[in-house]
Amino acid sequence: MRISCPYCGERSLDEYLYIGDATVTRPDPAGANAQADFYKYAYERTNPAGAHKELWYHSAGCHAWLVVERDTRTHEISSVETAKDVALKRNVAKGGA
Amino acid sequence: MSSLTLTPTNALASALNSSRSSVAIAVLDGLSIAHVAARKGQSAALAARVKELFGVTLSQTPRIATGSNVSFVWAGPDQWLAMARADTNPDFERDLRGKLEGLASVADQTDARALATVRGPNARHVLAKGVPIDLHPKAFPAGSAAITHASHIGVLMWLSEADDTFTLACPRSYASSFWNWLTESAVEFSPAVGE
Amino acid sequence: MSASQTNRITGKGLIDRRKPLRFTFDGKSYDGFQGDTLASALLANGVVLTGRSFKYHRARGILSAGSEEPNAIVELRAGARREPNTRATMIELFPGLEAHSQNRWPSLKYDVLSINSLLSPVFVAGFYYKTFMWPSAMWEKLYEPMIRRAAGLGRASDEADPDTYDKSNAFCDVLVVGGGAAGLMAALTAGRAGARVIVCDEHFDLGGRLLSETQLVDGKPAHDWVRAAVAELRAMPEVQILTRTSVFGAYDTGTFAAVERVADHLPKPGVHQPRQRLWRIIAKQCVLAAGATERPIVFGNNDLPGVMLASAVRTYINRFGVMPGKTAVIFANNDEAATTARDLATVGVRVAAIVDSRPQPSAAVRDAAKTTGARLVSGVVADAKGRIAVKGARIVPAAGEAFDVSCDLIAVSGGYNPNVQLTTHQNGRPQWNETLAAFLPGSSPKGMTVVGSAKGTFSLPDCLAEGAQAGAAAATAAGFSAHVPQVPKAEAESYGVVPMWRVKEAKHKAFVDFQNDVAASDIDLAEREGYRSVEHVKRYTTLGMATDQGKTANVNGLAILAALTGKSIPETGITSARPPYSPVSIGALAGHHRGKEFKATRLPPSYYWAKEQGAVMVEAGLWMRPQYFPRAGETDWLETVTREVKTTRSAAGICDVSTLGKIEIQGADAGTFLDRVYINMFSTLGVGKARYGMMLREDGIVLDDGTTARFAQDRFFMTTTTVNAVKVMQHLEFCHQWHWPELDVQMASATDQWAQYSVAGPRSRELLAKLVDAPFDISNEGFPYMAVAEITVCNGIRARIYRLSFSGELAYEIGVPARYGDSLIRALMAAGQEFGALCYGTEALGVMRIEKGHVGGPEINGTTTAADLGLGKMASTKKDFIGRVLAGREGLKDPSRPALVGFRPVDRSARLRSGSHLLPKDAGNFASNDQGYLTSVAYSPMNGHWVGLGLLSNAASRMGEIVRAYDPVRNGDTLVEVVSPVFFDPEGERLRV
Ligand SMILES: [Zn+2]
Repeated sequence: MRISCPYCGERSLDEYLYIGDATVTRPDPAGANAQADFYKYAYERTNPAGAHKELWYHSAGCHAWLVVERDTRTHEISSVETAKDVALKRNVAKGGA
Repeated sequence: MSSLTLTPTNALASALNSSRSSVAIAVLDGLSIAHVAARKGQSAALAARVKELFGVTLSQTPRIATGSNVSFVWAGPDQWLAMARADTNPDFERDLRGKLEGLASVADQTDARALATVRGPNARHVLAKGVPIDLHPKAFPAGSAAITHASHIGVLMWLSEADDTFTLACPRSYASSFWNWLTESAVEFSPAVGE
Repeated sequence: MSASQTNRITGKGLIDRRKPLRFTFDGKSYDGFQGDTLASALLANGVVLTGRSFKYHRARGILSAGSEEPNAIVELRAGARREPNTRATMIELFPGLEAHSQNRWPSLKYDVLSINSLLSPVFVAGFYYKTFMWPSAMWEKLYEPMIRRAAGLGRASDEADPDTYDKSNAFCDVLVVGGGAAGLMAALTAGRAGARVIVCDEHFDLGGRLLSETQLVDGKPAHDWVRAAVAELRAMPEVQILTRTSVFGAYDTGTFAAVERVADHLPKPGVHQPRQRLWRIIAKQCVLAAGATERPIVFGNNDLPGVMLASAVRTYINRFGVMPGKTAVIFANNDEAATTARDLATVGVRVAAIVDSRPQPSAAVRDAAKTTGARLVSGVVADAKGRIAVKGARIVPAAGEAFDVSCDLIAVSGGYNPNVQLTTHQNGRPQWNETLAAFLPGSSPKGMTVVGSAKGTFSLPDCLAEGAQAGAAAATAAGFSAHVPQVPKAEAESYGVVPMWRVKEAKHKAFVDFQNDVAASDIDLAEREGYRSVEHVKRYTTLGMATDQGKTANVNGLAILAALTGKSIPETGITSARPPYSPVSIGALAGHHRGKEFKATRLPPSYYWAKEQGAVMVEAGLWMRPQYFPRAGETDWLETVTREVKTTRSAAGICDVSTLGKIEIQGADAGTFLDRVYINMFSTLGVGKARYGMMLREDGIVLDDGTTARFAQDRFFMTTTTVNAVKVMQHLEFCHQWHWPELDVQMASATDQWAQYSVAGPRSRELLAKLVDAPFDISNEGFPYMAVAEITVCNGIRARIYRLSFSGELAYEIGVPARYGDSLIRALMAAGQEFGALCYGTEALGVMRIEKGHVGGPEINGTTTAADLGLGKMASTKKDFIGRVLAGREGLKDPSRPALVGFRPVDRSARLRSGSHLLPKDAGNFASNDQGYLTSVAYSPMNGHWVGLGLLSNAASRMGEIVRAYDPVRNGDTLVEVVSPVFFDPEGERLRV
């Protein structure tokens, strides 16, 4: 499998580390149900057969965390964004910092 | 005043004593190196300041840009390694920190990396034995840089703009393993070397 | 021509007769020529018996002329280079080549163990499962050695491989797999468009079947066209030709694996020449032109030496100038019979009969029979006759009585299987084609186009046209402007295959898988026993599971199973191929990474100095660290380590701690960032101070610990444990980029930048005072516990000094730029001489931290919380941090969770063992009584007995209790007392003096 890092270009799988689901975000630690929310966040994962957004780390390259949309059946990658950009957009959407 | 003195040791000093060396491969020493990372929201201002100070346009893509006295090689998003001659820039990190105050975080990397140069008609063949990226002139033209690995050892590498010389920088503690790989990879193309 | 080469045909073949080569087979000397394979040279010398089979020790000869060879498997070379299970058909002859047949004892001709053949009822399908089921202990002692000796698998050399292996990465626009007619056309077309092309072929010359057939291309012999095409390719700077290279795996995103046999054709590799090279090829497009493999037909004794694939017969005649027999019978289900008959007759082999299994022999075959004077029989060859070589064939005509024909060669063609393997490596499913009676590529991987006979295109003009088209399309897809050229002219051939899998009239054992000795009767048996799925039959019978990957066996086996179950072939299934397509040596996979280069090694700055001192080294992750520094007269490591601890605690000890991870963390929000990743506060840390910190994973479990110093308002310096350095950096990047990108934080790894030494012990201040430059005040008042400073040492060398202690002594860490690291250890030792200072290794470091009850790797082990380690109070309640919420879960606060305490043996002379289970004093040694375990133990020189740290249930309420430390692995059972984990200087008085 080869992933195109937005910074470094296309690189082989062995330059990357996988951490998993990019569709979950860290809950509000001050929320009313923080413990339940964090439990879900830390442990509950869907395991779709098909398109999935995942977090990958370009560990042997530029150290960017990436949000990679990959078909789990074929390894076909339809999009790669930097995690930072996705997170900043998410913050804007939340009206946050 | 201390009666004791310290003398520097090159990261590849012991490797140089080994019987294997190659005309095409050399240790690159004598550089002051600093990691420069733009402060939040200061990329443009940093680029302007660097341009003003060193006459260099910071590359936002993996490339090396060389000014009159300082080179900046891309080292990640909004990050560069700044390199200058050590003899004329002994306090490189502190100087840069002062000059880029508020625009960038600066960290000394002078001793963090061992540098080797590879040149010659078979340079790409030698490097292909461990570097998993395309080094064909069309894919990696003069001035290109990359962060990748060589024989599973992390490297920041670039191809000089001036001549067809590759420079590879690996973490200092890996220097011995890195050198063993590099010389073993080169020996096939340098039959005069190694015995 | 050598007189010994009785079967060499004058004036024929592409071998170089000016270069005779002498070789030995089973100790006997023979002659061959440059350009021969071992197989062709043996045939030239009339050697047809080349080995014994794996299970039954049946006589075997040469079946094929390519990589599919299942029979002629030999041991090549001698001594350290001896290599078993090599295919004689792929071994290029070199001067002095030495080969031995396998699986025979005492000699090839009189093999005692061919008695196995008489015992063959024992060796039927599933014999491993049935015969050797019980008792299992007998496996190691009896069954396996017996099977290995009887069913020899060749002998590997006992010596270290003297050769080197290499790896390389390659990138191209178009990868062409196979250099036959279609592949050459594709490469030429893509190459002419300017694309970067790599052509791989497993043979030593490009050309494929064109080297083996008598067809004309553009009116000239085909091999002349090949020569011109190869010359044109070689002249193209962007084209790389890799001969002797098997592409053995196709992976996603255009990634291919190939092995190049760089020097296997030489007596030994040249100076500095690798023997083999493993290629990782990244291709934008791939043209698969891997050809097709001829199928044998399953008839009685079809494994006898002298039974040969018809295509191989033509290869030996036309390419190698070797007559593979004197009198031939041809048995085929397609028009290859005609070509084969003509080629045989041309070189003077008498074609005794053409046996065509089709309902009606074609016009081509009738015509060939007429011109060669062969008897044409519509029917089958039921059995080969002969004991160790073919003496005749028993022919059963479609109408009439069976009869025998004398012959020494049976040329067989059961049709062709396209080599679709590389299309299936990513789950591609081949499609059955009734007309061609073969599996054709179904969907091929993205970017791969299949052409020529690999696609089921068996006619030369079509192969050339397809290659040209695919080459142009691939170059275009890779961004070049390419056009389809005029293809050279060639004559179309007929094929007309009609399936004939198994001759039911066979009286003798009829083999499907030659290499694994699987006969048709084994498939019968498997079917009778209820095996229906081809995947089960494959495993039960071992069909297709030998090193040849069943290239000649799989489809025949499938067809036989289909007939038995009354299903169609596609209903019965396919056996999917996985990498590797052909065998790959472990050496090639390892490449440079063997011996001490097995993995990269990191050397700390004091490494060479420590080696000079005779230090014993230990691997710590990738690092090589001094473990202890033995002195003359010391009898064991414990004596050394005890001295190192005592000297450090009474005078001074120096330890290289450069391996700790170090990260420069800067930016306006650096303090806020650290507050969020550490459980305790860092934004409040004063400039010029350091603080011990602990970080958790989001699930509340401890991730790492270490000390972080603040050198400026916006500049921190973090240290991590040695093993977690990379993991922590990754975690911090994650937190910053994914959780809090709005923070102004920049990070840079500084692990390799600083050589850092711990200087500990009551004399450490005096020692360092000799190095630090004025005006730095190193006094207790000027530089108190947990202070840090940027200073200079030894007359102007910049340094960082930290007043930190892991040992519990008055201690410092001193860091200098790494290039001064070697010099600094020498300076420290020189300065320390008057105080009796020494250098200590990781063992003494460990002993002193255990004496002080500091947690290390065995305690921060991925299961413990801060509270478990007695550090729960460190956690700030004024802020959120990673892991805070989930660390507050009820289960993680349960007092019965094992928590850190100390242990000392009741009998002070007893030794403790880490890993010992902790059981209540009088409880039995059952898992249900397990209450924890000892994590770290050491002989404490300061206490004069062993001490331990461990995790124990309800630890807080059990001080003074006696429990059992039970160690069934080493027969340990020691009573220990639960005590405080701090065994030395509990008030920490030594730290702050
Ligand atoms: Zn990257």
